[in-house]
This record gives sequence, C-alpha cells and structure tokens, in this order.
Amino acid sequence: MNDHPDLRLSRREFMRLSAAGVLTGASVPWFESLASAAVKRPRGKSCILLWMDGGPSQQHTFDPKPGGEFKSVPTAVPGIHIVEQLPKLARCMKDMSIIRSMSTEINDHYDAKYYLHTGYKRAPAFEHPAVGCIASSQISIPEGDLPGFVTIDAGNDKGNGGRFYRSVPAYLGPQHAPLAVQSPDRGLENLRNDSADLDARLALLARGEARFAEERPLPAVAAKQAAYERAVRLMRSSRARAFDLDEEPDWLRDAYGRHRFGQSCLLARRMIEAGVSFVEVFHRGWDDHEGAARRIHARAPWMDAGMSMLIRDLKMRGMLDDTLVVWMGEFGRSPGDGGGHFCKAWSTVWAGGGINTGIVVGKTTESGKNAGAAVEERPVSAPDYIATLCTVLGVDPRQEVMAPGNRPMPLADKKATIIKELIA
Amino acid sequence: MTPAEKQFSLNRAASRKQFPISLPVNATGGSRFFARTLLLGICAFGSPGAGWSAEPLFERDVLPVLTKNCLGCHGGLRQKGGLDMRTIPAMLKGGESGPALSAGKPDASEIWKMIASDEMPKEHEKLSAADKRTVRDWITAGMPTVAERQRKPDPLLPAGTRHVPAQVAAAIDQHLDRALAGANLKPAALSGDAEFLRRIYLDLAGRVPTAAEAAAFLDDTAPAKRPELIDKLLATADFGAQFGRTWREWISPPELPSDANGGKQPHNETRALGEWLGKRFASGDSWDRIVRDIITVEGELKGSPHAIFFGLAGEGGKITADGSARAVASLFMGVQLQCAQCHDDPFRSWAQKEHWGLAAFFGGTSGDFNKVTETQAKNGARIKIAKAAFLNAGSEVPAAFLGGGAFDPGKEAALRPALADWLVAKDNPFFAKAFANRTWFYFFARGIVNPVDDMRELNPPSHPGLLALLGNEFTASGFDVKHLIRCICNSRAYQRTSRPPAGMDSVALDALARSFGRMPLRVMPAESLYGSLCQVYGDPKLDLRTLAPKDGNSDGESAAVGDPYLEFKRRFFTNEEDATDFTHGIPQALAMLNHPRLLARSKALETFLKSTPAPSPQQTVEWLYLSTLSRRPAAEESADALAFLGKSGDAAKAHAGLLWTLVNRSEYIFTP
Repeated sequence: MNDHPDLRLSRREFMRLSAAGVLTGASVPWFESLASAAVKRPRGKSCILLWMDGGPSQQHTFDPKPGGEFKSVPTAVPGIHIVEQLPKLARCMKDMSIIRSMSTEINDHYDAKYYLHTGYKRAPAFEHPAVGCIASSQISIPEGDLPGFVTIDAGNDKGNGGRFYRSVPAYLGPQHAPLAVQSPDRGLENLRNDSADLDARLALLARGEARFAEERPLPAVAAKQAAYERAVRLMRSSRARAFDLDEEPDWLRDAYGRHRFGQSCLLARRMIEAGVSFVEVFHRGWDDHEGAARRIHARAPWMDAGMSMLIRDLKMRGMLDDTLVVWMGEFGRSPGDGGGHFCKAWSTVWAGGGINTGIVVGKTTESGKNAGAAVEERPVSAPDYIATLCTVLGVDPRQEVMAPGNRPMPLADKKATIIKELIA
Repeated sequence: MTPAEKQFSLNRAASRKQFPISLPVNATGGSRFFARTLLLGICAFGSPGAGWSAEPLFERDVLPVLTKNCLGCHGGLRQKGGLDMRTIPAMLKGGESGPALSAGKPDASEIWKMIASDEMPKEHEKLSAADKRTVRDWITAGMPTVAERQRKPDPLLPAGTRHVPAQVAAAIDQHLDRALAGANLKPAALSGDAEFLRRIYLDLAGRVPTAAEAAAFLDDTAPAKRPELIDKLLATADFGAQFGRTWREWISPPELPSDANGGKQPHNETRALGEWLGKRFASGDSWDRIVRDIITVEGELKGSPHAIFFGLAGEGGKITADGSARAVASLFMGVQLQCAQCHDDPFRSWAQKEHWGLAAFFGGTSGDFNKVTETQAKNGARIKIAKAAFLNAGSEVPAAFLGGGAFDPGKEAALRPALADWLVAKDNPFFAKAFANRTWFYFFARGIVNPVDDMRELNPPSHPGLLALLGNEFTASGFDVKHLIRCICNSRAYQRTSRPPAGMDSVALDALARSFGRMPLRVMPAESLYGSLCQVYGDPKLDLRTLAPKDGNSDGESAAVGDPYLEFKRRFFTNEEDATDFTHGIPQALAMLNHPRLLARSKALETFLKSTPAPSPQQTVEWLYLSTLSRRPAAEESADALAFLGKSGDAAKAHAGLLWTLVNRSEYIFTP
C-alpha cells in the first residue's frame, strides 16, 4: 500500500469516491458484466479451503480400514476406496487426490490449528501469517475490487474442538486480514451501508480529503485514501453481488444441499469467480471424543453433497484447473473408533488447481490390530503441506518477508519439501 | 576493550546454505524499513563539528555492503577460510590467507582483490560497481569509522547535573540544528497550535482532546501555553495510562501465551500489567525503581500484576531463563540477543556465551504467567545451554553481566537482585541510553539508534552527542521519566510541523525526517484510535464487532470475538516498528465506513446540544470539528458542512452524518 506511485490522488479519483449510485450493468446478471471487465489474475490460481475444525476422523472418511467401523467402497478410480457414506465424492475421485500420510507432531487443538494454517509452530517471538493471508498478499489481484481472503462460517455441530483459530496476517500487514462472512445468507461483514444520504456523505468526505492530501503529500496519506477508494469501489461494485446467493438457481442450491455447509461451498465458488483469491469455509464440531461413527454418519450426507457439487460445479464452469480445493482439519483421530486426537497418521483431500488427481499419496498401515496407527510410506509434514499449497497457487514458498526484528522469514519453513506426486 | 573488539571463541559451524536476504516486491512495512536502512546510500549521520561528510565510513557505508554480501560466510555463523569480516580488527587479523586489509592500499588488500575480480562473493550476486567503489574508496581513505568520528561526543551540557527542561530542550535543538546545517538540510517550520495540540494530547494522553479542551488551548493567548499544556498533561492519570499501555505493548508478545489446547489467554492480566505501570508512571516513580521491581518480582500474580512479565517473556506461558534474559536485554538495555541463543550472532558481536551468561541470572526463576518462584539454583550461578540451541547444547556457562563484567555470586547468590543492582547503577552503559532512545523513538517514530533495541558499536547513533545528552540528563535526574519527556516535548524539534516543505522529493523528505528536521506523520495506534472514538461517541464501551457471541454460535468464531476492545485492537493494529507506515486495507476501511455503530448518534454530541442554550448549526459544526480533528473548520469546510446539514430534514441524522464524515477523514487517523 505504501508503494503508491502517486503521492496525490487526482481530482477525478476523488470524484470517484462519490460517484452517483447508478451501477453499470445493473440489469444484467452480474457475471456477464464481469466479462467486459476481465478479471486479470496475476498468477491465475485461487484456493478454497474446506476446514473441518476439531480433527475429522480419517478412518471414517477417506482412509477406511478392513474391519473398520465404516465399510470401504470402490470409487471411480480403481484401487482407491473411501467410506460408503460418501458416494458422491466417490464418483468424483478422478478429480481428487487423497494424502493419507499426513504426520504432524501436534495433538493439541489450538497449536495444531496454528501449525496447519501457518506451517510454523507457535513461537513467542511473533505470529506467523496464515496461508490465506499469504495468498492474499501474493496472488490476489492488486487494487482489485474484492478482498484477497474471505472466510465463511459454515456452522457448528456440538463439540468444542478447542479455541477457534482466526487467520492472522501478522507481518504481512493488516490489509491482508480476512473479511468474514458470518453465514451464507448474511453476506460480507460491513459491506452494506443503508444510509439514505450515502452519496452526499461521500462527497463531503472527498472534499475534505483533497485538502489534506494537498497539505501532506505523503505515502501514508495516499495509502489510506487508496484503501478507502477500494472499499467504496467494493461497496458499489457489481462484483459485490457475488455475496448474494439469491442469484443462484434453486436447482443448483438444492444440488449443493440446503445445509449451511453446502450453501457456503456455493458462495465460495461465486467469490472465486468474482476475484477473491482464497476462501476458507470452516465447519466446527469434528472433535468427536465419544466416537466418530454416529456423528460422521450424520454429517456425511451434507458434506458429500456440498463438496462433490463444488468440484463438479467448478469443473462445469471450467474453473477447476485454476481453483485448488483442499479438505482437512488440524489432525486426524485415533484408529478404530476415532475417539482421540491423532496427528501421527491422517488424511487430507486435494482437488483441482491443476494438480495430479485420481491418486493416493502415502499409505498408513493396512492390517493388524492397529491398522492405520502409523504412516507406512511417504510422510507429509505441515510445512510440506503449506509449501505445496503455495507452489500450486504459483507462490514460491522460499520467498522471504521481513518479520519483526528485521528477521527474514520464508513463507514456508525452509525444511519443507514439495509433494511432488501432486504437482503435474 | 569494547565488545566489538573482543574476540570471542567462535565455533566453526557445520557448513550451511548462505543466509539469503531477498526483498520481495509485495512485502510490507518492516521490509521497506530494512531496505532503507540497508540499501539507501544517503544516511543522515551527523556529528557536531565533523558535520556530515561524504567520505565512506565503515559502519555507515561499508558494513551494510559486507552484511548483505559477505557476513553469511564470513560472520558469526561460520568463517570460511578462517576469515571473520564483522569487525575491522578481525579483518586486519585475516584468515588462512593472512591479513585481509591493508590501510590505504586497496591493491594490497585481499578483500579488495577478491571483490574486484568477482571471485567473491561465491555463489551470490556479485557486488555492484557502486558498492565496489565504496569499499575501494574506504580502504584508500585509511578505513575511517563513524566511531572514530564520534570518539568523544560532546553532549553540550555537563553530565552529572540535572538541568532545567528549557535548557535541555535548547541543547537538543542545538544538536539537531548543527547536524542539519552540516547536511545542508533546512528544517521544517514550527507547527501551528492545532497541530501541536492534537499531537501532544495523543502522545501524552493517548486520545485526542475534547472539544472543550481544544477550544481552551486554541483560544488561550498566554505565550507559555505550550509548556503549560505539556506540564498539565504530564500531571494527569491519562499520561500514566498511555505510557503504561505503550510499555505493556512493548513487553507483550503478539500472541499471548495460553495452554496448548488454547485455553484462556491472560488478556486481562496483561492489561493489569499496563495499568500497574501506568500508576507508577503517573505518580512519578523513577524508572530504576520500576525496573528493579519488575526484575526482582516474586510470588503470585494477585498481589503483583508485574509478575506476569516473565511469563510473557517465556515460552508457552512457562518462564524460561533465556527468554527472560532476552526480554530484559531488549526492553531495558536496548540490546538484541535472540540470534545469540543458539549460536554466535551472525551479524552482531554478541556471542552465545554472553547471551547465556545473562540468562544465568534467571537460572533459579521458574513459574508461568500466574506466578514467579525463585529457588536457589543447584549449580549456583551457572546455567546449562538449552537443548534447542544449535551449538554447545548442554554446556555450562557462568553468570556474567553483559559487556564483560564477571559476577561473583559469593555465598548468598541472590541472582536477580544482583542483576538489578548492576542494571540500574548510574554508570551502567546501557540503562539510561536505552530508555532515552526508546522514548525518542516513541515521539519521533525513529530512534537515535535504529532498531531501538540494537544498540552496539557497529550500529552507531545518528546523533551521538544527542544520545549522550539525553542519557546523562536521565541519569542525573534520578531516572525521572516525566523530566525526560518534558525536555523532549519542549524542544523545537518535537514541535515542528509534519507538513512536508514544498518542493522536496521523497528522497530529500526521507533524509529530512531521518535527521529529525521535520516531524513524521504517524498512524494513530489502535488503542488511541479506540479511545478517541469512544470519547467522541460518548460511549466508553464502543463496540465495533461484527460477530457477537449472541449471534447463533455460542462457540467457535463468535465466541472468539469476546471483547470489543480486544477485537478493535486486533482489527486496527499498526506497524509497531514504523509508525509512519499506513497498513490498513479494505477490512478496516469497510468497518469504519459501514459499521452501524459509527453511523449512529453520539451521546457526547447530544450532551453538548442539551447543555448549550439554542445551539446554532455553526456551533455544532465547530464542536464536531474540535472533537474529531482538534481544530475549527476552515471557511470552505464550514460552508460545505452547513450545506450538508441544511439539505437534510432530520437534524439528528445530519449530525450523525457529519460526524461519520469526520472520523473517516484521513486527517482523523493520523497523529500530525
């Protein structure tokens, strides 16, 4: 923001702050008016993170074991089996890849969430930026209408799951903090301003701004005015209608599933289309200490519908290759009944983004009393995961940014290795 | 022997990849700060007498080049070919190829020969022509250093006596004006009353003045009204609270500790630390007493809010000896030790041994952020280097004062009191200067030494005489905090305008700011912004949350947003290292523009309207301007505002609209 080339905004730009309220293309479906204002994305990729907070049980989802509580069934890819409760996702297997060998040393909720969001362990010196904020700072459209990073609250099953982790931009700067959608029907926080005299107010504001900028032609002032200009542009932008689910046809909303999770996935797709670079859809309550079977059996229908429809919808619109979808939690659960936290061997699912799909990366122990108790092949650490995600999005994970104390910090830990099996 | 000239026993570390420092385009504030310090050739180093010279000096011109290109392989982490290039004595000693420098003779100096032929740096970008010229010219000139030029800085006032603030202020100005003249820079003009008013209230009271306070000052005709306002504010509880908060922020880590499952974080307890500090500042307690109490605290948090200091400095909420040492060094001594935890600092001369020697004073201190316990350490005053260190893990180091003084524990071995005694002694080289520098940084957004906790021989002050003056004055006054602040705020330098003089390009403006020739335009810290908004809206618990616990989720994201004040700080945080860096973006702008609370009415305005007999629109406009921008509206602003009010049928709504416009102005969010 401080690199603004002009130290003063021109008079014309001030007037933009108070542009009269007629929206161009107001009578045209919002995505058509987008076509004329081509969304130029610097590196072309974006990401939807489906965060199952609390630690979803891998043996009750994507890594079932013989004799386990859930039956394993074949998928569209021969040789790959997932639980029978996720039939629609099974049919999408050609567009997905499963990493079964996640192995991350932390079994405590908050520390694990921090670890899996940042790729670094919590340290007293400073906070690390979450991966969504990294995406916002590296690949979001500069001076774009929409924020780079948005989070959507997809609801809450009962079940604690530890203190909620909120993505923090840390040393990347507060402008990369996520904007929150409290629930799909509520839209983006602080977006609407229903003052009847909004235009008059903005006009008055603009005149005061002009004087101050003349007296103090400094980068900080230009940065502040630029931020406001972007915010007002967003308020008036036809792209802001991305936050309105009413524009989607009923049949599509039904196909995603009328559960809050499904509608959140649909909203995420709209936001990616409109120019947001990273959307995190989170659902809390996967910390099934009393045993995962009954609870996941109840969740499976809406998770199956929402996630599979998201993948299929992205594919139908030709967006799948440019949109990475990741499903995960902060760790897995104990082999068997899925009662405890289990970070030694767990699963995540990746789709889209141009990665190699229809494969399984890594293996957990297959047979014996404690099937799935350890990673047998190809362990993947949290830094590996973050570095790979960055790479898929076109960000160099070794790139360094200054942390407090003039300390250069790479975006992902130096020790990370990319999951080469996923990179095409 | 100065620390820089000391030769430490350096272990040859195993070969590691070179320490790359790339500066990505997208990086924000902190990295640009670093870039300016490191790469911008023009530095406003001035010293009285010598003036600002164009000759290449070691610390200012050559060391940055070496740091960027050479110290990764020839520094504290490893010395390839046996060569350490961090100090001149080390380079004169040389390595396996013999002495690496020959004064006055670049063509006989190994370092120059290697650089000139591009044989060095290996596996790294080669030096630019300009950098090569700098090194060559410097060797030719006989390798002069800033330290030589600053050998005996003249503070201009005799040490050992306390002076009247006006005298100290005049000396401050003399120092700065001399350096400006030497660098051919013309300082900015003095600030107008409104600008000074807003600045002094924000700096000393952490909020903008109320309309009544503003009007009183602006209408006062007394010639000494500025010094009187400074005195008045220093006597208020608000002053204590503001400095307590400031130090609390410097002390607390960005993420407060909690148990691993993310249990309760000690937000309230940390705030209590700030309040405890605030009361001490307000009542005029001397800094040495405050710091001694912090360092020697024992017991439960209940009776002693400052007991949380060590827990905050520790890891995962547990007190650690080395964390405590690092915190004490950074906050009270102006010294960065964190690199030396695991190995000798690659770029500074602190050795691992010195870091752990200081940590040994905390060898018997244990606990968490609820309680501090001191037990007699088993090894007396020795400490084991932590397992996590890269080098020498497990070996024992005896307690030693930083900078070389050995510590003889004797029979009683009361470690922390001994450290406190040493630290706050009048002749301690770090204590007074560290506080003076940090306080200067608070007002000017830039220390006399930068970074503010990196005071060492090879990072010299930009104005050594000035730093000596402030250090001496602080010591002679018995570490009187208000006295030091009074001296600084009464200087002409502090009272200059932040409006950039016309016709200067950004490089010149930068040089002027760095020579303290003009005041910086600073972004208001989140807490001051919150306090000011609460004041003008007449709502001490102003709530700008969008997620509230009652909204559906009693758990999860909404529950994480428990406290309006904390949430505001979280959203509106600023760049602590560079107050001139505006880093807010869309999330912050949308909150200020569209949050219903800021669109609603102000109780304070309603009180004003009720208490004023038949208030005219002009009076109301004036009240709103005074309460927000700390000044009266200019003629065309009045006209605009009255036109706006006139258009609306609903007076209350119109007033709210005008207030909204004012708090969203750029002028509002800056300390001028």
